[in-house]
Order: sequence, then structure tokens, then C-alpha cells
Amino acid sequence: MSVVKEFTKGFWQELPPFRLVLGLCPTLAVTTAAENGVGMGLATTFVLVFSNVLVSILRKLIPSKVRIASYIVVIASFVVMAELLLQAYWYPMYKALGIFVPLIVVNCIILGRAEAFASKNPIIHSFADGLGIGLGFTLSLTVLGSIREILGNGTIFGTSVMWSTFEPLKFMVKAPGAFVCLGFLLGLMNIISRRRPAH
Amino acid sequence: MRDLIKMVVVLLVICTTSGVVLSYVNEATIAPREYQYIKFVQEPSIKAVLSGYNNDPVKDRMQLNLGEDQEGNPVEKVVFPAKKDGKTFEVAYSAAAKGYHGPIEVMVGVDPEGTLTGISIMTHSETPGLGARIVEPKFTDQFAGLDLETTKLSADGGKVDAVSGATFSTLGVITAVDAALEQFPQIKKEIF
Amino acid sequence: MSDYLLLIVAAILVNNIILARYLGNCPFLGVSQKMDTAVGMGMAVVFVVTIAGMITWVVQYAILNPLGLEYLRTIAFILVIASLVQLVEMFLQKSIPALYKALGIFLPLITTNCAVLGIAIINIQEEFNFMQTVVFSFASAVGFSLAMVLLASLRERFPTARIPLPFAGMPIAMITVGLLALSFLGFTGLVK
Repeated sequence: MSVVKEFTKGFWQELPPFRLVLGLCPTLAVTTAAENGVGMGLATTFVLVFSNVLVSILRKLIPSKVRIASYIVVIASFVVMAELLLQAYWYPMYKALGIFVPLIVVNCIILGRAEAFASKNPIIHSFADGLGIGLGFTLSLTVLGSIREILGNGTIFGTSVMWSTFEPLKFMVKAPGAFVCLGFLLGLMNIISRRRPAH
Repeated sequence: MRDLIKMVVVLLVICTTSGVVLSYVNEATIAPREYQYIKFVQEPSIKAVLSGYNNDPVKDRMQLNLGEDQEGNPVEKVVFPAKKDGKTFEVAYSAAAKGYHGPIEVMVGVDPEGTLTGISIMTHSETPGLGARIVEPKFTDQFAGLDLETTKLSADGGKVDAVSGATFSTLGVITAVDAALEQFPQIKKEIF
Repeated sequence: MSDYLLLIVAAILVNNIILARYLGNCPFLGVSQKMDTAVGMGMAVVFVVTIAGMITWVVQYAILNPLGLEYLRTIAFILVIASLVQLVEMFLQKSIPALYKALGIFLPLITTNCAVLGIAIINIQEEFNFMQTVVFSFASAVGFSLAMVLLASLRERFPTARIPLPFAGMPIAMITVGLLALSFLGFTGLVK
């Protein structure tokens, strides 16, 4: 039961980056299109799941003084792996995400999960936690990317969805649109969560 | 003291393992990475600069050894020949030069006389709206039919009109094209 | 000389590290509630980013490139930055206690500030030489501090503003940053 709970909490209670306000840079930067949101989310999930599992396996071996350094090495290794794999099998996405692929290493969500969860919990739970949070993150990025792509470009996943006279709000796919859009979504989440019974 | 040793050992083991695993992944992905680069970056440009061939230039690509540079390192170049009925009549290859921001990589198509059949910008990081306009056909089309003598700005007696407001980006493209054309005599010996 | 001036203006205003390049948002939003913490964080970032930019440049060109280990860049850079932050912390604590008192609490936060790693990687991707790296790193970090101070001065007024309850805190801060970014968009085209 509790493994399921570790998995599902990533979709609402601790949904990043809305409920868990971390990992904002990739959230804002790559969500110019829905597809990029999916790509970034999956790359982050890959790193998050594997680093969580490995940190959990090693949790009794790593002395607490060097734990952060060890986590960083573990995370960075998986990031380099993700970089190489994206280059080898999903090149257009590698190009689209650009500098934000190596920057997954400083995504606070990943180090945060390693430190706050995987270092204290068994392997299965850490795996479920990583997968849940990672997929929640992917979902958020995809939603944000879709909204920005529809408003800023009139398309979703590259397919035109708006009426023909629709004039795209170009600013939505630029930096200001990213911040304003995320701000409104955060506010919306607050309104919704206040209506729901508290957990 | 024992703690210290344990710390160092643990860190060392983690780093070594990571290094070994990563170097393996790196080795294993060299071929697909190279293939993806050719497919997504080079192939569209090759199609833009060559025409009238009935082979697959990417499949028929050749790695040529063009001697050594000033520091004694070997210069290698991958060239993409355009063949008609098995006979090479044009060749495409790339060269790079510094633009206004970072490098500009250009694919050139050249015929046996050393005349350009076309150029295509593969990668660049020029300013959007200004330098980035070097990718527009209006600019790149000017290069077809030029040779080493005429690839200069029209202000310098050549036949290339600069992208307005982006002289440095234009010069970057010209430098890259010239670098490619200067290698042509050697490439010609090998393939035509 | 004017090249460096352009680089500085571009890094601070046109391609502001936060408002145009989306780097360093976590500390930017995390510690911009008060003016004095914003200034402290800004100074710590300028200090670390400039040094990290220099060291990572040397690591790239003196170690990774000659050994053919470019693919390990991410892991090498993050380790350099993490150890650098530790060293700076220890050095300041011992030698300049006054500065340590001012910047100390911000230093651990900087390791996971993606602006530091981001700028280090941009330096390499744009193929800057050493001098350009120093100037660009410094100017980008100044741009970070500028954005941070601007936001802090706005956020200090929030307590007296009537903000709809669900938007209090992070949401309204985000929207404010959006408007700030919108005004910075006006600098586009200032430097070609």
C-alpha cells in the first residue's frame, strides 16, 4: 500500500514544480512547446529514478560527511548518461533542450529526493518515489508546454489547433510568458487545493 | 582516522565506478551519435547543396586524410560524393569559422572545377533577426557559381552582398567557405 | 575593447541570465524577499561565478580536451564548482571573517545554483577565449544581481499591497518577474 502512496504523491500532494516549488529553471526554459516538456520530463525522470535507486542501495555505505558529494557524483553520472543517450537516439530533442540537459544535474528536485527520501528509505520505495515525482514533473511540464505552445504558436505537439485568424501571442513562448504563465498556474493550483479537503 | 579512510575509499569507489561505466556508455554510443549527427545536421544540408545525383551521398561518404596542420596533427575530412550512374560529379563537405557568436558550420557543394554548387548553414549561434539571417536562401543562394576568387564581400570586389547589419556573421560564412575551398585541390586529387 | 563592452551590455541587459536565459531561478525567487539578503546573495554569486568560470575554462582546455574526455564535462564541472564553493567558504572563514559573515550563509546554496554551471557551460559552448570568459562570467553574474535587487525592491512592497489570497507568495512573485522580463525584452536588438 505505502509503495503505491509513494508513487501517487508525485501527482498531487508533492507535484513538482507546483506543490514542490523546485526545478524552476528547466520548467520555465524548455516549456516553449509541449514536446520539449515531455522530453525534459522524461530525461529528468530517468536521472531521478536511477539516482534514487542507487542512493538507496548505497545509503548504509556512504558516510554522512561525504554524502552530498557522493550524491552529486551519482546524479552527474546519470546526467552524462542521459546526455549521451539523447544524442545517440533522440538527437532533435537533445538539440531542442540544449544547455538544460547538462543542467539536470543541478535540478534541486533530484538532489532533494536523494537527500530527503532515498537516503532514508528502502529501494522499492525510493524507486516508486522517483518514478512518481518524475512522471508528475513530466506531466506538469507537458501541461505548461501545451498552454504556452497553444497561446504562443497556435499549435500543440506541432499540430495546428486554433482557428485560422488566430494571431499567436508571441510573448508566451518568450521568457516573460513563461513566468506569467507559471505564476497564474501556481495561483490556480492554490485555489483548487483550498477547495479540496486538506490532507 | 578510520572514518577518514572510509570516506576517501567510498568516494574513490563511486568515482571510479562512474568513470568506468560512463566510458563504456560513451564507447557504445559513438556510432549512433555520429549517425544522428549526420542524419539531422548534415543530411538536410547535403541535400540542399547537391543536386541531380542518384546515389546516397551519406552512405557513400569517405574519410579522407589531407596531410597535417601546422601543429602536426592529421587533418581528416569526411566528404559526401554525389554520383550519377556511379560517376562522382560533385562533392559536399563542411568547414567552420568563427561568426559573431561562436562557430558557424557551413556545408559546401563543389564541382570538379572548384566552383560552388551551393552552400548551406548547418549550425550557428548568431543573433536572431540579424546575424541569424545568414541561413535564409536570399543570402546563401548568392554563393552558387562562385569560386575562391569571388567569395568576397561586394564592398571588397567580390560578389557576396552582406546580410544587412550583420557584417561579422557574413564574414564568418565567407571565411568558412574559403577554408573549405582551400582544401578543394587536395580533395579533388582523391575523389575526381 | 568595444567588443568587451558589447559583451558586458549583452550579458547584463539583452541576455540577462535570469530574465532571458532562465538560469538561477531557485535562489532568485528564494532569497529575494528582502533587499539586504538579495544584495548578499548577489555578491556571493558574482564572486563564485567569476572564479568558477575561470577554473572550468582551464579544466576544459587543459584537461578534458587534451585527454578526449569532453563527454565528462558535466560531471567534471559540477565537482569543480562544488569543491570551489567549499574552498571559498573555508578560505573566507579563516582569512576574511567580515566577508564570510556577509556571504557565508549564501555559499552552500550556490552549488545547486544552475546559473554557475550554466555560465560555465555557455563559456565553452560559445568558444570564448580566457579573457572573454572572465568578462562574460562577471557580467552575467552582475546581471543576476541586478535582476535580484530589482525584484527584491518590488517584493518589499508586497506586504502593503492587496494581493488576492491564492496569489500571495510565489504566484505573484512569478508574475512580477514576468513583467520585469517583459521590460527587459525591450533591450532586444540593443546589441547586435
